[in-house]
Formats: sequence, C-alpha cells, structure tokens
Amino acid sequence: MKKDPSNGGPKNPSSGFTRRDFLIGLGTTAVSAAALSARAVAADLARSGAEEPQGPGPVPVTLRVNGERRALVLEPRVTLLEALRTQAGLTGAKEACGRATCGACTVLLDGKPAYACTTLAIDAQHREITTVEGLSRNGLTPLQKAMVELDGLQCGYCTPGFVMSLTALSETNPSPTEADVRKACSGHLCRCGSYPNVFAAALRAAGKTGDDAVTVLQSPDALA
Amino acid sequence: MPWPKERKYLGKPMPRVDAPDKVTGAAKYTTDVLPAGMLFAGIFRSSWPAAKINSIDLAAARAAPGIRAAVVAREGPRRARYYGEELAAVAGVSRQAVEDALRLIKVDATPLPFVVDEMDAIQAGAPQVIEDGPNFTRPAARETGNVSEGFSRSASVASGAYSAAVELHHCLEPHGNMIAWEGDQVNAWASTQGVFSVRDGLAESFGIPQNKVRVICDHMGGGFGSKLGFGVEGALCARLAKAAGAPVQLMLTRFEESLCVGNRPSTFQKIRLGADKDGRLLAFDMDALGSPGFAAGVSTAAGGGGADIPSPFIYKVPSARVRQANVAVNAGSARAMRAPGHPQASFGMESIMDDLAAKLGIDPVEFRLRNDPMEIRQREYGIGAEKFGWKEKYRKPGSSPGPVKTGIGCAGATWGGGGGRGQAEVQVNPDGTVEVRCGTQDLGTGSRTVARLVAAEMLQVEPSGVAVRIGDSLLPPNGSSGGSTTTANIGPAVFNACENAVAELARLSGIAEPRGGRWLEACRKIGVNPLTASGRWQPGLSSQGVGGVQFAEVDVDTETGFVKLRRILCVQDCGLIVNPLTCRSQVYGGIIMGIGYALYEQRVMDRTSGVVLNPNFETYKLPGPADMPDIDVILLDMPERGIIGIGEPVTIPTASAIANAVANALGVRVSDLPITPDRVLAALGLVSGLRPSWAERPIPA
Amino acid sequence: MKAFAYVTPQSPESAVELVRDDGRFYAGGVDLLGEMKEFLATPRTLVNVKALPGSGEIGFDAAQCTVGANVTVADLAAHPRIIGALPGLALAAAEVGSPQIRNMATVGGNLAQHSRCWYYRHRDVHCRKKGGAKCFARTGEAKYHSLFTGCMCVSPAVSNLAVALAALDARVCVLRGRGVDKLTVEELYASAWTNPLAHNSLGPADLILRVEIPIPAGGRSTYMQVSEKSDFDWALVSCAASALVSGRSVSRVRIVLGAVAPVPWQVAEANQLLEGRTLDDGLAGKAADRILRDATPLEGNGYKLPIARALIRRSLQKLVA
Repeated sequence: MKKDPSNGGPKNPSSGFTRRDFLIGLGTTAVSAAALSARAVAADLARSGAEEPQGPGPVPVTLRVNGERRALVLEPRVTLLEALRTQAGLTGAKEACGRATCGACTVLLDGKPAYACTTLAIDAQHREITTVEGLSRNGLTPLQKAMVELDGLQCGYCTPGFVMSLTALSETNPSPTEADVRKACSGHLCRCGSYPNVFAAALRAAGKTGDDAVTVLQSPDALA
Repeated sequence: MPWPKERKYLGKPMPRVDAPDKVTGAAKYTTDVLPAGMLFAGIFRSSWPAAKINSIDLAAARAAPGIRAAVVAREGPRRARYYGEELAAVAGVSRQAVEDALRLIKVDATPLPFVVDEMDAIQAGAPQVIEDGPNFTRPAARETGNVSEGFSRSASVASGAYSAAVELHHCLEPHGNMIAWEGDQVNAWASTQGVFSVRDGLAESFGIPQNKVRVICDHMGGGFGSKLGFGVEGALCARLAKAAGAPVQLMLTRFEESLCVGNRPSTFQKIRLGADKDGRLLAFDMDALGSPGFAAGVSTAAGGGGADIPSPFIYKVPSARVRQANVAVNAGSARAMRAPGHPQASFGMESIMDDLAAKLGIDPVEFRLRNDPMEIRQREYGIGAEKFGWKEKYRKPGSSPGPVKTGIGCAGATWGGGGGRGQAEVQVNPDGTVEVRCGTQDLGTGSRTVARLVAAEMLQVEPSGVAVRIGDSLLPPNGSSGGSTTTANIGPAVFNACENAVAELARLSGIAEPRGGRWLEACRKIGVNPLTASGRWQPGLSSQGVGGVQFAEVDVDTETGFVKLRRILCVQDCGLIVNPLTCRSQVYGGIIMGIGYALYEQRVMDRTSGVVLNPNFETYKLPGPADMPDIDVILLDMPERGIIGIGEPVTIPTASAIANAVANALGVRVSDLPITPDRVLAALGLVSGLRPSWAERPIPA
Repeated sequence: MKAFAYVTPQSPESAVELVRDDGRFYAGGVDLLGEMKEFLATPRTLVNVKALPGSGEIGFDAAQCTVGANVTVADLAAHPRIIGALPGLALAAAEVGSPQIRNMATVGGNLAQHSRCWYYRHRDVHCRKKGGAKCFARTGEAKYHSLFTGCMCVSPAVSNLAVALAALDARVCVLRGRGVDKLTVEELYASAWTNPLAHNSLGPADLILRVEIPIPAGGRSTYMQVSEKSDFDWALVSCAASALVSGRSVSRVRIVLGAVAPVPWQVAEANQLLEGRTLDDGLAGKAADRILRDATPLEGNGYKLPIARALIRRSLQKLVA
C-alpha cells in the first residue's frame, strides 16, 4: 500500500474556488500548507458557505425539461421521476418498480437514457432533461409512427420508456442492427410481451424493411 | 346473423386506436390521475408471516406532519396470515409525509409459528396456517375407467415428478385507485379489469347505492387476472378519502405487488402414464398438490382461488385417476392468472408425454397426433411441424453433439374463451361520424380497436370515423375482462347495436340502405340530436373452444447450464380474427409470459423468516428483450366459428414446449420450473450436495 | 427515503469533511438510493462528489491508464483506448446492469457498492451484516451466494469492475484521512472477508479518487460471466483473466473469479502454475482445481463450481486465441 501525500489527481486545474485561493484569501501565504490541515481548510470552506447543504426541508430546484426551465420547490429526497410526474405535470414517465430495474421511468439526461426513479431531482439540475412529452411537439416522430403501425405496445405502460431509449439510439446510431436495438432496449421490461414488435418498429424507423406482416391462414388452410 | 362474408375492415391489420396516446405519453392511467388537492396514501403491512395482531397504535402517525387520515384495515384484534398482509393505511399531502408516517405506526403483535414451504406444510405437526383447519386435506381420488387395468395392459409406463413455482402477475402498472367523494357520489379511478366489479365492490363495502358510484379506467397497465376485484387497497383508499375529505391516490409499490395481489399457485405433480405398443394412451394417474396461499383455495377477494389443475388436460386417456389437494402456507393468496391451472396441467402432462414417447421410441409429434382428439390441433401440428422443420431437426434425446446441445419440443393447448353477455351503444352523428360506447376495459388487449373495427365493418364507415369510449361504469356494461372473453363479448354487442342503429337510421332518413354511398345523406336527416342505438350480445357471432400448438428450439450449454431459447413457433386459432395485428401481439404476450414461466420466474420464500425474498425485478426475473427467441406466429382465421378469445390459450403450452426441448437436448429432464442453470447442471449430475428433491418426501395420506 | 440534506463539495478534502456528519458519498446513486429506499441506509447528508475536479477523466500515459472515480461505467465501456488496451475492463463494464445504469453509475460507486444478498437487502430481515445474530443465507436460500464460506458473511462481491481490475493489477487510490492510499483490489475488499458488517475495506469517510491500471506490452485481458438471463442480470459466476501472451505461452497470469466470495477470488498459486507455460485444457483444469480447492459450497450453490471451471478454461482459451 503506497501513500501519496501530494493529494494528486489527474492534472487538470479545477474551475472556480480552489484551496490555494482560499489560503491566499486567508492571508496565510506565509504559513506552510502542512501546518494547516486539509480538514481545517475544508471545515472553513464549509463554514464560509462555499458549499452549503440544502434541505432536508423543501428547497428551490430548477430543472431544464424539454427545453423549458421549471422552477420547483421540493425536498432533496424527491426523485426526478416524482418531480416530473407530480410537480411538472409530465406523467409520461411511469413508476413501475422504483428500483432501476424496469425502464418505465426512463428519461434522457443530456441525451442519454437514465432511470428517473433513481435520480434525485436536486441532482438533475444542470442536466438537459428530455421526457416523452418533449419528443412529439411536431407530431409523431418516425419511431413513434413505427411503434403505432407495427403495434410495439399493448397496455402501453412501458412504452414511453422504450420510446426514450430508442430515440436516443436513433440519434447515436442511425443504422442499427437488431442486436443494437436489443441492447438499447436491454434496460426495459414489458410484461405484455411486445418486444418483437418494438424491435421491428425501431428497425423500420431506421429505414430497415423487414417482413412484419402477420401470417394468417384462411381455412381451408394452406402454407405458402 | 353471421358476420359479413366479404369483410372490408374486420380481419385486416389495424393499428390500435390508443397507440398514439401511448407512444406520446398522453395516455392517462390511474397512476396519472392527480387532481389538485389530492392526497397520497400508503399501506402499513405485517412484518410477521403469522401473528396475532393485538392492537395497532395510529396516534403518532395521525399526528405526523402532513397526514390527513389514518385507518386500520380491520377493527379489533385479528390475525396476520402472511408477511405483507394489510394492517393499516395513511393518507397525507405528499409521498414523503406518508412514508414518514408509516414508520411511526406501532403494532402490538404476538408472533405465531408459520410455514411457507408446501412440503413442510403438509407434514404432521406443521404450524397451522388456517386458524380452524388443517393446512392440507386430501380429497378422494376421482377415477374414470380402470387405471390399474390400464397400466397392466400398457406396453410402457413412464413416471415422473414435475413441479412449477408460484408465479406472480407483475403487471407493470401496480394495483391502485384514485378515489374522490363528492357529496354522496363517489368517483373512483381504478387500474382494473372490471369497472363494474369495482363499482359494486365499493358500493357494497360502504353500504351506498350502486348508482352513486362511478368507476373510470381509461387506460390500465396490465391485469393478467389479478385486477378483477375491488381489493383491500381499493377499500383502504376509499376509506381514507372519506376520512380526509379529499381525493386520495393509493398505488401499490413493486414490493407490495410481490406480496399480496395474487399469484399462480405452485404445482407438484407425481404422474404415471401408460400406453400400448402403438403409442395409444391407456392409463393416467396423478397425485398432485399446490399452494394458493394462506386461504388454500377458499375463494379470495378477487376470485379464482384454488390450485387444482385440469389434468390430463387435452389428451384422451381412457382410464384416469386424479387426486389433488390445496395446501395452505403463510403467503399471499392466489388469484386467477392468465389461463388459471392450465400451464401447470400442461407442463406436467406434456413432460410425461415426451418421456413416454422417448421410452416407446415414437416421435413426440407423432405421439401427440395419436392421442390428441382435437381436429384443429391435428391440423395445427401438421402446419407447425412443417414450418418448424420438425422432421429435419428432430434427434433422439441427448444425441446433439458438443457441449452446447440443441433440442426441440412441442406442446398443445386448449381454452374456452367465448362470449355470452354484454351491451354496447352506438351513436351516429349528423355529420356521419360514429361513437361506440362500451363499459368494457382495455388491458392492452386492443378492445378499443375491436369495437372500432366491428362498428366500421357493420356501418361501412372508415375506422377513422369511429370514436370509441370504454372504461367507465356510466357506459353500458359489457363484463369484466377475464377468461379471454372480452372480444367475444364486445364484438356481438357492437354488431347488434350497429344493426339497430342502421335500422333506426333507415327509418329516420327514409333511405332503405343508408350505409355506403348514401351514408352522409342519411345522417344529415338525423336532425340536431344524434341517433343512439343499444345492442346486446347475440348468439351466433362467437363461440368457445380453441386449439393451439407450439414448438420450441433451445441450445443448452452443458458446461454452464445456460439455456438459450432460439425459436418458438406457434400455430393458433381463435375463430374469426378481428384484428390480426393486435391478435398477434396477444400471442407474443402469452408466449413471452410462458418463457418466463419456463426459464426465469419463481417467487422465493424464506423458510426461516417467512418473507418473500425476491420482491423486486432484480431477483424475480421477467423475460427481457435480450432473452427473446425468434417467435413465429401463424394464425388460423376461421370466421365461420365467430369470435373466440386469444389472450390465454397462447400462454399455456409454451413452458411445456421449452421444457421438452431442454429434455430433448440433454437426454435428461429438468422437471422443476423454472429451468435455471443450477437445475440444468444438477440434472446432468454435475453438482453434489443438493437439497433433496421435493419428490423424495412422501405426501402424507 | 429518510429526509436528508444535499451538498456539493468542490474538493475531496471538503467532501471527506462533510461526510463525517452521518453522511454518504453520492455519485451515480444507483446503489445508494436503492439502499435508502429500503431504509437500509439513512444518512443525514448526501455528499455529491460528482463536481470534484478531474474526477471524470480517463487518461493514458506510456505505462498506465488512470480512470477518475466519477467516470461513468458507460464511458469506460465505450472508450476506444480502453477497449483496445484493456479489453477485459471494457467487457466487464459493458455487462454492468443496463444502458441506463451504465450511464448513471460511476467507477467509484461500482467498486464501493454494497452486498446484493437478498437477506441483507430485505428491509425486514435483520441479518448478520446488519448487526443481527444470524446469517440467513448459510442455512437458507443460498443460490446466489459464496462458494468460499470460511468468512462470516457469505454474500459475494458482485462488482464486475472489481474482478476485471483485480486481474489487471490495478490500484485504487483512496483518500483516507490525510493522504491517499493506493490499494490493490484485494486490499480494497479484504475487510469483507474478515468483518461481517463490511462490504469492503473502505471506512465511512474514505473516498475513492481514481483507479490506476498498468498497461504492459503484450498484455491481454478478458472478462466473461454467466447469468440466468441473457442481459441485465447479476453474474452467477464471473471470470476475469489477464496475461502477457506470446503465441500460446503466457506469463504474469491473473485469473479472478467474481460472485464466489466476499472478495474477488484470486489464488496466487494458480497464477504461478501457469507462469511461462503453454496453455492447454489440462493446464487450465489444474489451475481451476487450485482456484476452487478451498471452496466450501452452501446447499444450493454447488452448481457454481462447474460454471467456474468452464469460465476459467474459456477465459484462458480466449487469452491465447
């Protein structure tokens, strides 16, 4: 076990208020850093308000959702999912498990799929949040149209989540294979069993034609 | 009154009416009903698997910040009979307030001995689950023909012990309600399969007139049989709303969904099956039990309680003896789950069929054709075997080379379905547009679209000109959505309403045939007020009884036990196919649920603490996208039989076909579902120190 | 969750100071919030460590790769140079959870994550790890638990990254008290073997800063796992392997198993067995024998032994392929 007293890290300057700035501000340039323990500095920093704890009661939280600024007031323990659904009026994202296992709550954070149920609203500030409501301001997207046409849903409870992940896929990979689509969907569960049609819809939206027709044999039956 | 021979809309694939709302997040489910001033609610549950509950102290909870009401589930001392049983509930201004308050509830309880394992529960001296009765009584066997004689004449007899675990519905939208009292009227939004059953349950539990209760279910996130009643959570929600004088939403969490809103009972079957040298079945003998939870088959709050199974299921056996029993354990009660009893019966029967076929050296499909009396299934096996490539692929069990072994299997199924009741109303507007109204539910089954298509066909208008309203107890009742009956109920009712509407329109307009080219002209003559016509379910448009066969192909890695499902092929009939697109989706759904039953799903109880160990999706494993095989569905359209249901038959044979495929691959059978890697490796003899099989413990007389 | 305050320190020292008052470090939050929702953890303060300078970087120099603690698992899995130089690490990262989890989860959080034992995770079971008297898994449902059970808590280490990093001789830099300790992965988890209450060797105010991974010339690495489902499922057994490879001959071999012990399981003797040797199935079997020699499976988890053997053999085959 090696001790590294330099408190190193990748050599990138931090933006903003540094320990050194603080020391200079305290007029301690004449005092060696070793004499002032890091703990004391940190405690002083905390006291000076540079890092102010928020909560546990309700605090102002500003979220950028679907391109709009939403000013909310909520406790730090409120999840992003709850904030969206009960305070921002955006009920598209659903709570089905609350434990980051089913994908029904999926939103995009800076374009990347994330589970809103396991994100704190207060921690999602400074992120661009996209919900399903933000996708179709100008009518259904090609993915949404394909989901409708190919019946990529049944009860629909899981559907907004799938739409979010597949929307992110369409933006990072315009020509996905079925394996890519399955991977993009791998954080989602559908109890009604719509996966095959979801895959087909994602591929169709990407311009891949497949044999999606339903096979119906009329009686007397014959297999073509 | 047959369906039209030439059909313009019925039988054509049609995207569902509600799909745009669902893909945009606009569809509102009960969880999304959040009126201003609404309170949130939560349930306090027993943390003992069995206990005398002496008293519940709500004082601190009531006084907690933001709390507006707190009630006990039942007054007075009572028992808790399973971990998670409802004891009390609170309502407050936020979920956080409710969560904090629940933790302030104090209970004085005397823990009691408990038992959660079926094989433990049937032993003499086991802790008593039912207060005034045994955990387990064995009724006499029921016998047809002469079983001993049948076995003595058999050229070959197979025997086996097959089991399947308790399976949970795990609808993605939890159970729950949003209930608001307005004067003497109560409005309830419910995630339900039966708006009228909720209405009447609410009315009865509060002693209020049924015509003062309205239940709305615009969209709901899955039921699978678990949402057919009002529920304890519904009653608590309504009581809190009344006590608080405010709307209350009470939705269960996934944890709670794992405990108390129903399940498919476990099954443990010891079976013997005998056949003559030509492979004709002669005798069947089954000794079985299963657990439907603490009430052991006494009718539950939501119906469909017991663990009995319809063995020997679809096969014709001249002599059959069946002895089966329900076992009580300290666990949540069963509820009907997609084809209740049938996947369990199918699994045992189809497994031993394959085992006997192997002993006789007869091809499994051929063996079934010799013993399956249903003509439709005979045809379906023919179509399916050819499409699947059965003859080319089939190899004797265990003969696939290499460490990753391939195997194939098949199974058949039957189900009733069919309709028999229900009403609908059709409104024709002066501008020619149409509205269909039906007090039915759409669980994801596509019933809205069924109503639209039938009306479009019968009125000969474009489907886009037909609006559909469902899911409201103010609408004409059409029955709860269970038993795969909804389409067969709606279809004829809407058919009849349309007939009546056309007749009325002809009368009003003086145009003898108002449909088609003269539709708009006729409608304009309606006048200011639209025309409405009622209809009722009529015989002749639907019927009962479907077949269905499925084939499965698997690869099994014999070094790791991992089962990779490669392909499922299904040939299914359901009479007249109203909408092939949504019909096929139902087939996918049933198959995928069967995949879960075969390979992943089991509710795990802990014998020491009595809790459910996997109350989440992390360790209660549902099939995910990556688990999907290629699924081929061939639907047989038989309009001459009218509409028959599809939702349930398609989940019955799936696990059986998969289990048979695994047995075919390995040459040994994993006879306990789910077929997880540990069980595969154990069956291959690669694991020592195993817990003794349940089958080694005798079933007490 | 119990109510808490949320604070975002701008320096590691500040973070360590702020966490002392009944706080927990909060990075991706996937594990932490999961525990808090079950009231397994009830901190007064969540110390958001995502703003710490430089903590989200991946850097390469001639001899090693440095991964900041706040690098997401997704970024790790997708980084072209990680995929090229440390494929075992990239593969391990790609199997963590789901895309959503990988986007949220951090390297530090993944290493520090707590037990997934279903008794530990159950809100109403007071097991050994929570200070109770009894380990329920030992005599209960142990399907997912450890093969090596000489310790007191038999819940296994489940971090994919830990297994892969152990095979790569990585060092985990932890801010502890005044200075930064560089721990091997073995040291990072050692307390989980000896202390039933511990998930790893981190104290409550110990903060993972970064991971340093050597990149020797001629080095190859691999990772694979077997689960019940095809994706988004914890490993039943996982295996990471690395070696310097020349033809079919290997040196500096490391084979590590995951999900079989409270610590990533590595046996130096087994590595040495293969030193300088030409790999074949027989040798792989001997290595597996040695790695698994001290296994004392529980009722219900003996099946992990054949899986481990298969993964060890397949990993070694893949290394020299």
